[in-house]
Amino acid sequence: MKPINNLWQERLRFDMWSALFIVAVIGLVPVVVSGPYALGIILVSVYFAILALGWNLLAGYTGQFSLAPAAFAMIGAYTTALLEHYWKIPLALGISAAIVVTALFGLALGKLVLNLSGPYLSLTTLAFAEIARVVIGNSHEFTRGDQGMHVATLTQNRLGYYYIFLLALVAVLSFIYWILKGKLGRFMMAVRDDPIGAESRGINVVRIKMIAFCASCSICGLAGSLYGTFSQLVSPELGLLQQTGLILSMVVIGGMGSLSGSILGAVMIYLGSEWLRGFGDIQMIVFALLVIVFARYIPGGIWGVMAARLQRRRP
Amino acid sequence: MGRDGSTLAAAPTMSLLTIEGLFVHFGGVAAVDNVSFDLRQGEILGLIGPNGSGKTTVLNLLSGFLAPDSGCVRMGGKDITRMSAARLAQHGVLRMFQMTRVFTRMSAFDNLLTAGMARGLSEPESNKRAHALIEELTLGQVQYQDAGQLSGGQRKLLEFGMCFIEPPLIAMLDEPFAAVHPVMREVMAQFIRDRHAKGHTFLLVSHDMPIIVDLCQRAVCMNAGRVIAAGEIRSVLQNHDVIEAYLGNGETHLGQDHPPGLEVH
Repeated sequence: MKPINNLWQERLRFDMWSALFIVAVIGLVPVVVSGPYALGIILVSVYFAILALGWNLLAGYTGQFSLAPAAFAMIGAYTTALLEHYWKIPLALGISAAIVVTALFGLALGKLVLNLSGPYLSLTTLAFAEIARVVIGNSHEFTRGDQGMHVATLTQNRLGYYYIFLLALVAVLSFIYWILKGKLGRFMMAVRDDPIGAESRGINVVRIKMIAFCASCSICGLAGSLYGTFSQLVSPELGLLQQTGLILSMVVIGGMGSLSGSILGAVMIYLGSEWLRGFGDIQMIVFALLVIVFARYIPGGIWGVMAARLQRRRP
Repeated sequence: MGRDGSTLAAAPTMSLLTIEGLFVHFGGVAAVDNVSFDLRQGEILGLIGPNGSGKTTVLNLLSGFLAPDSGCVRMGGKDITRMSAARLAQHGVLRMFQMTRVFTRMSAFDNLLTAGMARGLSEPESNKRAHALIEELTLGQVQYQDAGQLSGGQRKLLEFGMCFIEPPLIAMLDEPFAAVHPVMREVMAQFIRDRHAKGHTFLLVSHDMPIIVDLCQRAVCMNAGRVIAAGEIRSVLQNHDVIEAYLGNGETHLGQDHPPGLEVH
C-alpha cells in the first residue's frame, strides 16, 4: 500500500471537488429552470451558501460558535449602500470596502470576545448582533432606519446576477480551500479539537481564532453586500437573528466542517423553507427540531453520511 | 544552543531550568508553597509525592498554563516565568498531560504533522519525521485512524511523538505510565531511555516507583505543596519525611523488593 502522507489534504481535496461538482450543477440549473421567481430562489440559496461557508470556517473548522453571521452580512450590505448613497462610491469599490470594513469590525469584536469560548463567545456575539441591528434600525437620519436604503444594482439581468453569485461562491470556496489546505487550516482544527493541547504544542490559539473570525466576518460581509445590490434594498432585516438561525441549521444539517456540506445544506434548507412558507410560520420549528436531531445523532450531517458512502466505494 | 544530543550531553551537571521560590494560592490554600529546585541538562528528574501534593500545579507553572503569585523560573539565565504556553513550546519547553490532549478529529498521522508544523517545521520535514516516529512508537496499525478512536495508551504514545517531532529542550511528562498496558509502558520507557541517552532532559511526574527508580537519577518529593526532599534518587526514597508522606509511620523496604508506589496503590 502506498503510504498516505497527508490524509487531511486527501479528505479536503475530495470535499473540494465534490463542492465544485455541486456548484457546477447549480450553474446548469438555468438550462432547465427559466422562471425569474424560481431562479431568484436558487440565487438566494447561493447567497446563503456563501454565508454558510463563512460561518462553517469559524464554527465547523475552528470550533468557535459565533451568532453574528447575519449581522456581519447586514454590516457589509450597509457599508456598500452608505458609501454609494453619501459619497457616490462605485459599486465595485463599495463591495470591496464591505469586505474590508467587516474584517475590521471582526477584528475589533474579536479583540473583545476571542478570549472567551463556548457559550460565552456565543452570547457576546449574539449581543453584538442585536445591538448592531437595533442601532442601524434606529439611526433614521443616517440609514433611514427600518425603511431601509435603496442601493444601485450591478445589472438588471437576473441571470447575470445568478452567475455573479456563483462566481462569488467559487471565489469564497477557493479562498477557504486555500486557508484550510495549509498550516493555518491545521492549526484551526487543532484549536477546535483541543485549545489547551494546541497551545501546549506551540500554537497561538487567540491569533488563530482571530484570523478565522476576521475571515469569516469578511465572507459574510461580501455576501451581504452583493445581496444588497441584487435586491436593491438593504434593511436591518438582513441582520435578524432568524437569518443566523437559518445559516446555523444549514451548516449543522448539511455537515459541519465540510465545504460540500455547507453548500448542500444551504440549498436544501432554503428550498425547504420556501416550500414550508405555504404552511405558515412553522419553518423555524421544523429546522430547530432537525438541528437537534442532527447534532445529537448525525453529527457529520447529510454530507458526512454521503461522503462515507462515496469514499467507501473508492478503491 | 545546539539541540543535537552530543552538545547537551557534554554538560550533565549544568542547570537548565532554575525554579526559585514559587508560590501559588488557590483561595486560601497554598497549592505550591515556596518550591525551589533545579533541572539539570541531560538528566531525568523525578517529581514524586502523594496525590494532591502539587506536582501537576508545578508542571502547569513551568509550562505556562498558570502564573505564580511569586517566585521565578529561569531557563539558561533567561526569565521565563510569565511566558505563554505557546511561546514556551516554541522555545522547546514541552509537556504532556495526565489526561491526553490529542486532536481527536484528525488522524494520528495528521496529529504528528500538525505538531511538527506548530514547532515551525516545514511540511515535508514534518512528514519525514512523523513516519519515523509512527514506526518507533508502534502506531503503524492505527496511523490513519482519528486520534479520538485510539486507546488511552496509544494516545499517550502519540503525545510522546507530538512532543518529540522536533526534539524539545525540556520534556515534562505528567504520569505517562498511569493506566497503560505493560507492553506500551515498555515502549514508552524505552523511548525515554533512548532520548535520555541522546542527552535530552526530562521532568517526570509519576507514582510508579519502580519506573522512577529505573529511569531517574535524581528526584524531588513534594507533599502539601512543599518540597520535602530533593537529591539523588536513593537518598530521597530513604528520606524519613518521604516515607511518612507516602505510607504514614512504619517500617518499609524502600527502593528494595517492594518500593512504596506498589504498596500505596
